[in-house]
Amino acid sequence: MTGSLRDAGAQAVDLVPDLGPAWIVLALAPLLLAAVVLLTAGRWPTAPGHRSIRLLSVTAALASAVGVAGAALHRPEVAEPWIPGLGVWLRLGADGLSVPLLLLTSVVGVVAVALHLHVPERHRAAPPGEEGLETTSPIPVLRSTDVPGLATYHACLLLVVLGALVAFLAGDAILFFVGFELVLVPMWVLVARYGDPGSDRDGAAVRFLMVTVVGSTLMLVGLLAVATATGTTDLSVWASLRGEGIDRPTQIAVAAVLLAGLALKVPVFPLHTWLPWVHATAPTAGSVLLAAVLLKLGTYGMVRLVMPVVPEGFAFWAPLLGGLAVAGILWASLACLVERDLKRLIAWSSIAHLGFVVLGLATGTQTGLQAALFGNVAHGLISALLFVVVGGLKHRWGSADLAVARAALREATPSLGAALVLGMAASMGLPGLAGFWGEVGAIYAAWSPAEDRPGGWFGLYAVLAAVGGALTVAYSARVLREVWSGDRLEPRIPDAVRTERYALRLLGALILVLGVLPVLLLTVTAPVTAAVIGR
Amino acid sequence: MTLQLNLVATLPVLAPLLAAVLVLLLDAAVPGHRWPHLLVAGAGLAAGAAGAVPGLLQTTGDARAAFCLPSGECLYAADRLTSTLQLAGLLAAGVVLVLAWRDWSAPSATGRAAVVAALVLGATGGVVAVPAAQDLGSLLVALELATLPTVGLVVLTDDAWSGERRARAVEGATALLMTSLVSFGLVALGAALWVAATGTALLELPTSRDPALLLLASVFVLAGLAFKLSAVPFHAWTPVTYTAASLPVTAYLSTVSKVAALGAVVVLVRALGAVDGTTLLALALLAALSMTVGNLVALVQTDTVRLLAWSTVAQAGWVLLPLASLSSRAVHAAGSYLVVYVLGTLLAFTVVVAVADAHGAGASRSGSALAGTSLEAHRGLLRSHPLLALPLALALLTLAGLPPAVVGLVAKVVALRPVAGDGTWWLAVVAAVNVALGIAVYLRWLSRLLAQAPPVPSSLRQTAPARAASVGAGRAPDETDEPGESGEPGESGEPGEDLRAGAPEGPPERGPRTPVRVWALVAVLTLLVVVWSIAPVGVV
Repeated sequence: MTGSLRDAGAQAVDLVPDLGPAWIVLALAPLLLAAVVLLTAGRWPTAPGHRSIRLLSVTAALASAVGVAGAALHRPEVAEPWIPGLGVWLRLGADGLSVPLLLLTSVVGVVAVALHLHVPERHRAAPPGEEGLETTSPIPVLRSTDVPGLATYHACLLLVVLGALVAFLAGDAILFFVGFELVLVPMWVLVARYGDPGSDRDGAAVRFLMVTVVGSTLMLVGLLAVATATGTTDLSVWASLRGEGIDRPTQIAVAAVLLAGLALKVPVFPLHTWLPWVHATAPTAGSVLLAAVLLKLGTYGMVRLVMPVVPEGFAFWAPLLGGLAVAGILWASLACLVERDLKRLIAWSSIAHLGFVVLGLATGTQTGLQAALFGNVAHGLISALLFVVVGGLKHRWGSADLAVARAALREATPSLGAALVLGMAASMGLPGLAGFWGEVGAIYAAWSPAEDRPGGWFGLYAVLAAVGGALTVAYSARVLREVWSGDRLEPRIPDAVRTERYALRLLGALILVLGVLPVLLLTVTAPVTAAVIGR
Repeated sequence: MTLQLNLVATLPVLAPLLAAVLVLLLDAAVPGHRWPHLLVAGAGLAAGAAGAVPGLLQTTGDARAAFCLPSGECLYAADRLTSTLQLAGLLAAGVVLVLAWRDWSAPSATGRAAVVAALVLGATGGVVAVPAAQDLGSLLVALELATLPTVGLVVLTDDAWSGERRARAVEGATALLMTSLVSFGLVALGAALWVAATGTALLELPTSRDPALLLLASVFVLAGLAFKLSAVPFHAWTPVTYTAASLPVTAYLSTVSKVAALGAVVVLVRALGAVDGTTLLALALLAALSMTVGNLVALVQTDTVRLLAWSTVAQAGWVLLPLASLSSRAVHAAGSYLVVYVLGTLLAFTVVVAVADAHGAGASRSGSALAGTSLEAHRGLLRSHPLLALPLALALLTLAGLPPAVVGLVAKVVALRPVAGDGTWWLAVVAAVNVALGIAVYLRWLSRLLAQAPPVPSSLRQTAPARAASVGAGRAPDETDEPGESGEPGESGEPGEDLRAGAPEGPPERGPRTPVRVWALVAVLTLLVVVWSIAPVGVV
C-alpha cells in the first residue's frame, strides 16, 4: 500500500510547479508586508476592525505556509552577496535538517495567528461593600473583539514567525544569527504588553530577552571564531570541512561557547529557569510559538552549527551535555509532579521533552540524531496543542491554578478535554502517537552510543531517562485526574470555539499521523543525518 | 630641508579652520548678523566633507599625504579609514550645527553666533586632523585643538538659564578643562617616552631599541586618550559635563569628540601593530571595564542625557574592544563601529532635543515639574509623537544592536570578530554579557516609549456606563504601567472607537511644533539607518 501511496504522492508533487527562488520569496514576503501594514494600522484614518486584522494576518501566514511548502518540495536556493566587508551572503535554502522545522513553523504559525487574542483582565479588588460575597464570575469572551493593540499583536506574531523562518532557511552563519535576533523584540513586546497582567510580565519579558541575548551573543562569539578559522561564514562549507584546520583546544573552546549559548535557548538543565516564568506570563499564541518554534532554534543550532562544524569539540562536551539533559528530564518531571500552575507545568514538561532531544544529540549516533530531530518536531506539535488547550483553559478559568476546584473537562468541555487527553497521552510517549519515537529513540541511542562516547555513563543516562519517562506518565496522569476526570460541573465554562477546534484537530491529526507513519519524517531527515554524523 | 606641501590633501582640515577665521572676520565686518556666519560655517564643513570624499575612493594601502619630508615620511596621511572618520566627524559637526540653530535665533544669543560657530569649526578642524596625524607633534596639537574649544562651548551658557544651571555649566566646563589638561600631560609624557624609546617623533614604523619603554610610552598615551574617549576608569568627567552643557554641545561631545579620541587611538594602534609581539592588555581591560561600568550605571539613570552619557562610556568600551587585538582588521572594525555609534547617538540626541523643546514649553504651561530631558517625559511618545518615537526607537535599537536595526547588529558582529578570532575568550564573554546589559539599558527607554501616556485625563474621562460592558471593564482607572493603550474601556456599541482610545491620551498640545530643520535631520538620519540596515555596505 505504501508503494501506491508513494506513487500518488510523487504524482501530486509533480503537479506543483517549480517556481525556484520565488517559493522562498513567497514564504517570507507576505509575513513582512503584513507585519508592516499592521504596524502602521493604528495611524490609519479609520482603524481596521478585528475581522480585517485577523483576515490579513491569517492570509499572510497561509500564503507564507504555501511558500514554505513549495520551498520544502523543490528546495530552491537563493544566494546574494549582502555584507561584502564581512563576506556575508544572503543565502537561503532548505535541506533535510530544516524542512521538518520549516513546515512545523508554518503550521504552528498559522495556528498561533488564527487564535483569538483574549486580553487578560487585571485582578481587581472587590468593591468595599461586596467583600466576602461570592460573585458569579462573568462568562469569558472567547471570540475576537476589538482589543486595543490587536494589529500590533498580530504584527509581532508574524515577525516572530518570519524570524524563525529566516533562521531555519539561513545557509550563512551570520544570517542565522540575524534571524535568531529578529525574533527577540517582537517576542518581548508580546510578553510585556499582551502577557498576563496578574504576574510580573515586564520582569518576565526582560528576563526572556536578557537570557536569550546572552545566549545568542555567546553563540555569535563562537560563530565568529569559526568564521575566522575557516575564512567563510557559509554553513555548507563549514559542514563539509568538519573542523579541519581548527586544532583541538580551539574546537573545545568554540564548542563550549556555542553550546553554552544554545543551551540557554533550548534550555538545558541549569540554564532553564527563565522558561516556566515566561510561559506562564506569555499570551497563548506567544506560548505556542515559544514552545513549538523558538526553543527549536536552540536544538537546530546544535545540529547545524556545532555537531558538524567542531566535531571534536562536541565529542568532548557530549557526556556533560547528556548528563545535563538527563538531569533536566528528571528535575523537570519532578517539578511537574508538584507544580500548581497548569501553564507552568506544561512549560516544565517542555524542558523534560527537550532533555530527550538533547540526550539524543549527545549520543553522537545516527539513531540518536534521527530521534532528536523527530523529537523536535513531535514536541513542537504536542506542546503547541497543549498550550492551545491550556491557554484557552486559563482564560476560561481566570487563572491556571490547579488547586482551585474546577468543572471536570470530560463533562464540561468535551472537545477541549479530548484534546488535552490526546496531548497528554502523546506527551507520555504512548506508541502510536508522535512523542513515542523521539523518546524511545533517544533512550535506545543512549544505551548504545557512538564508540568515542563513554558507554558506561551513557548507559546510566539511558536508565535515568527511562525513569524520567515513567515520571512523565505520572505527572500526565496527575493532570488528567485533576483537570479532566471527575463529575463536577460548576463553574461552567464554554467549550472550544471554532478556531480552537480547527487548530486542535489539525495539530492532533499531525500528531497521530507522525505517530503511525514516522517514516514520513525519518525519510526526510535520514540523508542529512549521515552527513552530520560524518560516518 | 624642503617640506613638500600638498595642501589639497589637507582640505578636510583646512576648510573648517579657514571657515572659523572667516567667521570671526565676518563678525567684525558685519556685526549683529547671524545668517552669513551660519552660511560660512556650513560651507566650511561641507567643503571639508567634499575634500574627504576622494579619500574614500582610494584603494587599500593608498593614502593622501601632505607635509612630506625629503626622507619620504609624511606628517599627514589620510587613507580610507582616516577619510571615513574625517567624513563622519565633519558631517556629525554639521548635524550639531543644525541642532544648535535655536541658540542662534534666540534673542539672548545675538552676537554669540560668531563665537559659537568659530569654536565648533575650530574643534572640528582638530578632530579631523587627529586621525591623519603621523607624528607625535601633530597628534598632540590636533588633540588639543579638538578639545579646548569644546570647553568654551560648554561654558557659553544661555542667558535664560537659572543661576544654578549656569553655575553647573561652569562646573562642567571646569571638569572638562581639568580632564583635558591631565590627559594632555599624560599624552605628552607618553610622547616623551616614545621619543626616548624610538629616537624619533614619527609614528610610522617605530624601530624600538627598548620594547619595554615603548610599551610604557604607549600605555601613557593610551591613558591620556582614554580620558577623551571617556573609558573607565578615566570617565568621571563625562556625566558631569554632559548634563551641564546645552544639548547640542553634549551631542557634539558625545559624537564628534569621540571621533578625535578614537582617531588618536587608531593612530597609536597602527604604529604599535607594526611592532611584532606587542599586545596591549591595557586596551582589553579598558574595553571590558568601560562597557561593564557604563552599562551598569546607565541602567539606573532617570534622565535621557545622563543615560546617553553613560551609554557613551559603555560604547567607548565597544569601540576599544576590537583594538585589543592590534591588527589592521581590528582598526577598521573599530572605525566601523564608531561610525555606527555616531549615527545612532546623533539620531537619539536629535530626538531628545526635539522632545525637550516640545516638552519644555508644554511643561511650563501645565506646571509639570518634569524636565524635558527626563526619561518620564518620553512616556507614551509612540502615541503622541509617532514620527519622533519611531526614529528614536530605531536609534536605540541600533545602539543596542538588535534587529530591525540590522546595522547595529552588524556593528556588534564586526567589533566582536577580532576578539573571537584571536580566542581572547574572557573578553568575548564579558562582551556577550554586556550585549545583554546594554539591551536592558536601551529597553528601559524603549519601554517608556511604548508605554501609555501619562493618565491625567483618563481618570476624569472615566464614565460609569462605559465601565460595565466591554472587555476592558475590569481595569482600574489609575493603571499607569499598562503598556497597552486601553486605559479606558471603549464605549460599548462602538467597537471601532476603542482601538484609538489611547491616542488622545497624549497631551493635546505639547508646546510649539517641532521645527522643520529637526524633522529634516531626523528624516535624513533615519533614512541612513534604514538604508544601511538593508544593505550594510562599507562596513569592514
